[in-house]
Amino acid sequence: MLRLGLAVLLTALGAAGSGMKVTTHTLDNGMRILVHEDHDVPNAAMYLFYTVGSRNERPGITGISHYFEHMMFNGAKKYGPKQFDIVMERAGGRNNAYTSRDITAYTNWFPNTALEQIFDLEADRIHDLAFDPQIVESERGVVISERRMAVDNNPFGTLYEQVNAAAYLAHPYSWPVIGWASDIAAYSMDDLKAHFKMGYAPNNCLLVVTGAVTHDEVVRLAKKYLEPIPRQDPPPPVRTVEPPQLGERRVVVKRAAQLPLMIVSYHVPATRHADNAALEMLETVLTSGRSSRLYRRLVEQEQLVLSINAGQQLALDPTQFLFSMQVRSGVEPSKVEAALYEELGKVAKEGITPTELAKAKNQQIAGFYRSLKTIAGKANLLGQFEIYHGDHRKLFTAVEELEKVTAADIQRVAGAYFGEKNRTVGTLIPEMPQKGGAE
Amino acid sequence: MTPRLLVFTLAAAAIMSAQVKLPPYSKKALPNGATLILLNKPDVPLVTVRALFRGGAEAESAAQAGINALTVELMRRGAGARPAEEFAEALDALGASLNTGANRQFSFASVEFLTRTQSEALALFGDFLARPTFPEDEFKKALAQRIDASKAAKDNPGAALALFFPSFFYGPGHPYARPSNGDELSLANLTRQSLVDWHKRMFVGRNLILIAAGDIDEKTLGPRLEKLASALPAGEAYQWRQSVAPPERKQPRLLLIDKPDATQTYFMVATPGIDRTHPDRTQLEIVNTLFGGRFTSMLNDELRVNSGLTYGARSSVDEDRLTGAISISTFTPAETTVKAIDLALEVLNRLRTQGIDTEQLLSARNYIKGGFPTQNLETADQVAGILGELEIFGLNKGEIDDYFSRLDAATLEQVNATAKKWYGAAPLQFLLVGNAEKIREDVKKYAPNMKVRSIKEPGFGVPAF
Repeated sequence: MLRLGLAVLLTALGAAGSGMKVTTHTLDNGMRILVHEDHDVPNAAMYLFYTVGSRNERPGITGISHYFEHMMFNGAKKYGPKQFDIVMERAGGRNNAYTSRDITAYTNWFPNTALEQIFDLEADRIHDLAFDPQIVESERGVVISERRMAVDNNPFGTLYEQVNAAAYLAHPYSWPVIGWASDIAAYSMDDLKAHFKMGYAPNNCLLVVTGAVTHDEVVRLAKKYLEPIPRQDPPPPVRTVEPPQLGERRVVVKRAAQLPLMIVSYHVPATRHADNAALEMLETVLTSGRSSRLYRRLVEQEQLVLSINAGQQLALDPTQFLFSMQVRSGVEPSKVEAALYEELGKVAKEGITPTELAKAKNQQIAGFYRSLKTIAGKANLLGQFEIYHGDHRKLFTAVEELEKVTAADIQRVAGAYFGEKNRTVGTLIPEMPQKGGAE
Repeated sequence: MTPRLLVFTLAAAAIMSAQVKLPPYSKKALPNGATLILLNKPDVPLVTVRALFRGGAEAESAAQAGINALTVELMRRGAGARPAEEFAEALDALGASLNTGANRQFSFASVEFLTRTQSEALALFGDFLARPTFPEDEFKKALAQRIDASKAAKDNPGAALALFFPSFFYGPGHPYARPSNGDELSLANLTRQSLVDWHKRMFVGRNLILIAAGDIDEKTLGPRLEKLASALPAGEAYQWRQSVAPPERKQPRLLLIDKPDATQTYFMVATPGIDRTHPDRTQLEIVNTLFGGRFTSMLNDELRVNSGLTYGARSSVDEDRLTGAISISTFTPAETTVKAIDLALEVLNRLRTQGIDTEQLLSARNYIKGGFPTQNLETADQVAGILGELEIFGLNKGEIDDYFSRLDAATLEQVNATAKKWYGAAPLQFLLVGNAEKIREDVKKYAPNMKVRSIKEPGFGVPAF
């Protein structure tokens, strides 16, 4: 359904920007704009990235960024309750939104004839959002249902939340983006208003428009609709730095499930760090495609797991590199763990082959082009590069960065980050439910 | 009716979506009966080659449910001179991706590769299509994986709901009465030899539609693909089943899949619908958009926006070769199960009795047209998907090229008559996944003919009604 709260944003590194032309403009109120023209279909995508997410929260209001994302659809001054969606859909458009730890993104897709209408809708809610107490309550129900779907009724969601909380002692990344259930039940109107004031300044927003539009038209409409919105203070900096982990942490979850699950999580630096490209490449070597090291061994040769996924979320602050595995029936999770560590140790000790490096580069290049197939994909990628890599133009040199990664870099990062002291291990053990005991 | 404020000044002036059309492509019948389609659409330096084999789940017997999907999986686990690991290695080395599977009407394999690796990628794909070796150990491994995956699907109640639905709705004997991957019971009946025989029978020239799209050069790629396709024997064309409808139900039925740890109830309410070529399809697409096909739809508006009972409520209209279902699906905390089902039925009744109005019709048309280009014609693989579908269902280009005029031609009277004809005219069929202890007494009221089945029993079959 719409407005999924917990999109996992994995970085897409890769090849050249394939001659993508991007123009820029900054409004007087500080809002930055990126425009990419592509007239392949008569449609456009408009993405607004606010640099506010769960890292800007505190205990007691966890999940409020995500909850607020929902409230942004519930009425403003010109377009009252429901009107944002009614008007947009009638104009042929559709939308979604997602919240991560670092950002809240609003995504609109529409025929280019609706461009001005979309600007009008977005400006109205940024400038004049309404806070109707009745809607605040019914939206709370929606988010509770979303949490039950994504966490309580989803073994991976349950385990991930527990592992993540154990991996951080101090940093706000420790709480779930969707928030703890008790906080969702307790947000007050004042909390919501304070969050809006903190996060939704035009100078805290990046606007990306791609598709069958022109730079001049986008800038003209942005000036008309968005420039009058006054600048205000951006969210205060997140000061807390996660202290180094001093030893392995372990989490066990017992709940009803058909098969066990495992998550092994390591601290790694923020996306902007120089080691990011090597870590992405290592992820490809380990888990991309059936010939990747971990897939081949764990899924095929030893048949210990049904699936294995790895990766790191885009992150402004130091983050986690996760391995998640659905353990096969009858397999002892400790066997899976041992095989994983052995493979990680091998990369750290012996490195990877030139063939593996060449393969990983081809896989990343192909993946990069896949993400550039659509105007929506391009809007998303431009926003991600601007926010997480600090400059959208890094998209154009991504292939060069990729080519620079050496086998030695990959070996080094494997050794530097995938050590015992740096990991948090989560295991979900299937358990028969107690009568009437769920909830 | 839901009250609506009409503030449509900008939008009303803005809608003038011109019909978008299929880009030019070529189509050729090959000597072994295969159809070859080529489409140049060089947005990015990638090529998609998609092979469809007619048949799909409707060709399978109940005892062998899932054989298509498993056969096409095995074809990559040893092909030509390469054993499974070498095949995977060669494919990954190019950065290529290979996706396989089966739906109700065809098995498919789709490879996507960088233009510069075309020659190597096609050599691999050719081996995959025509020279799979079906190693016994790989068969056993893949089978065991699928059986575990079938069990694991029950950990996700939303997925489990969809997997139990075919057996519940279509009933024994109907070709759609099982999930397209089968389940652990039907898979256990398969042997290596059954896959070899199946491949020989179904994966033949007369069943093949081969489509290449993307950054291609027709002159060089055409002959290359002709050669690749002609490595398959002509074989015998699959004879489509005669039209079979879902069984006519005289009364409502309710099946509750008991998942004691579920804190939410996931449910579907369904009634028989149409097939892919039914003359009512465009009107039904309009009705479905308004009823449960978008965010502001009647169902989502009531169950999510007005009442906060769920994260989302939707409806869908199957468009397969044989008549399928029209269904509502959503989920809600266990405590609000009855409230949510009641409300869904109330919305259904409102659609039947009050219909839609002119404003809604206009909005639905705009919405469908506005999303159509990016959902169907933006990427080479989208267009390849559409071209394959036209072949499978025996539809012509007009399906796409005249779509907007068909939308415009549907009058309010016609659309309302269609809504009345299809939505809730037949006795409703209820499928629920949830905690039986908490909800079974309360949901009896929807259908005296109610059964409960534990999610823990193997497979996705259901008790007889």
